[in-house]
Amino acid sequence: MDASALISELVLISLFGGLFALDRRCAFQVMASQPIVAVPALGFLMGMPEIGLQLGALLQLIWMSSVMFGANVPPNETISSIAIGGMVFLFGKYIGEITTPVWTVAILAGAPLGFLGRTVEVWFDGDNLRLVAHADQAAEAGKPQTLSKIMIWGLLRIFVANTVIVALGIAVGLGILLALDGGELATRLRFGLEGIGVYIIPALGLAVAFSVVRQRGALLVAAFSFVAAIAFMGPGLGS
Amino acid sequence: MSAEGQTVEPVSERPIGPLILCHVLWRSFFFQSVTNYERMQNMGFAYCMAPALKRLYRGKALEEAMARHLAFFNSHPYMAGALLGATVRLEEECAAGRLPADQIVAFKRYMMGPMAAIGDSFFWASLRPLAATWAIMGILSGLYWAPVAFLCLYNVFHLGLRTYGVFVGYRTGERICERINRFGLVKFADRSHYLTGAFLGITAALYVEWATETNAAVGEGAEPFLLSALILIFFFSLKRKMPMPMLLYTFSIGCIALIAALDAWFPMI
Repeated sequence: MDASALISELVLISLFGGLFALDRRCAFQVMASQPIVAVPALGFLMGMPEIGLQLGALLQLIWMSSVMFGANVPPNETISSIAIGGMVFLFGKYIGEITTPVWTVAILAGAPLGFLGRTVEVWFDGDNLRLVAHADQAAEAGKPQTLSKIMIWGLLRIFVANTVIVALGIAVGLGILLALDGGELATRLRFGLEGIGVYIIPALGLAVAFSVVRQRGALLVAAFSFVAAIAFMGPGLGS
Repeated sequence: MSAEGQTVEPVSERPIGPLILCHVLWRSFFFQSVTNYERMQNMGFAYCMAPALKRLYRGKALEEAMARHLAFFNSHPYMAGALLGATVRLEEECAAGRLPADQIVAFKRYMMGPMAAIGDSFFWASLRPLAATWAIMGILSGLYWAPVAFLCLYNVFHLGLRTYGVFVGYRTGERICERINRFGLVKFADRSHYLTGAFLGITAALYVEWATETNAAVGEGAEPFLLSALILIFFFSLKRKMPMPMLLYTFSIGCIALIAALDAWFPMI
């Protein structure tokens, strides 16, 4: 394992995470920060596009309800997803094979980062009042150009905070993966982690996505299309 | 500048050109950079308005106009484009002495709520889940360009409405809200949930198919029932306000404990 290459890629992934996380709320909001875009893009850059796509799809489902309605600050799905992707890709590149238990552990280790990201964002929203006071002073002085500096400072500090969270998250997650990999514990856990990765995480993701659907009739449509798709896929399914 | 409710003395007759509107549009992409709990998106609004205000006012009038837009503002970031365009128009009227300044404040105050409701309902609650579930379904079906299609589908509406809002908002002023209403975005939002539901049903079936191909396949055709049962349990738990992480970790620990118990009782596993 080339530790210096791993660390440099970890730093690059963290910068990628910090940059994409800006799109979530602070800049552009073109949805490049959504897991379904950010994780496949990272997978593509790391040379594992297929895993990136599968992982991105699953993470998108899990974070489907993470929406900024009004003043609500939801969990930061971007930094959580990129940290999870970073753990998986770096593990696959430098440590071992990417299996279902590996990405399951990565998801379990990386999901809390979304909530940490929210806490940081809430703190920044409170602290931004200091910047607003500066803006008031700039307005009184008739200096609108000061607003640009304040906006850049606001962006910069969110970028740095998110980058640090992603870096620490990946480092901790890789540590957990290394501790579990190949040991006695890993053998015992393997079946359980397979079950979590194949059933519990997709089912939870789908349930989260269903909870976003507002029309009751739409849930009936979903049930019908599920049954129809299962029937269409063939009677051999699952046997 | 006169007191509130009265027409201001003419400061400028210079019209706002397309270049300044482009500048406002560009700045609108950073609308929420300094959101805060007291005045929400006021910084973003003032920052976006700054190029137009600098063009229209000088000295004390500029200071007052800046202060006007540093007041509380909270709306949907995409729909704010329309309010920005219309506000630029109103500021132009105000600078020319044809409109009292408090009418601009009133326009913003009354319109930010309804615009936010349209934006939340259309973009956050409908278009994003619709485009995302379609893309997830696409990926699971082997359409590996689905994330790019997701970005394109979403941003046709997002960038289209943002640009339309700024430019047509400037042209129509206060009537921009009627124009936006004509698109029937809320009606579309309501109907799109049926399509999202259909995509999610197919996605669930694709996850069943995937489960049968893994080491965790149960066999005997049980996967559809197992996945459906789990989805229902999670769905009703979420509806009862149980947090997603709690469900994730509780069921994960439960799954590992179950496997460990089975391993202890039936070592064949």
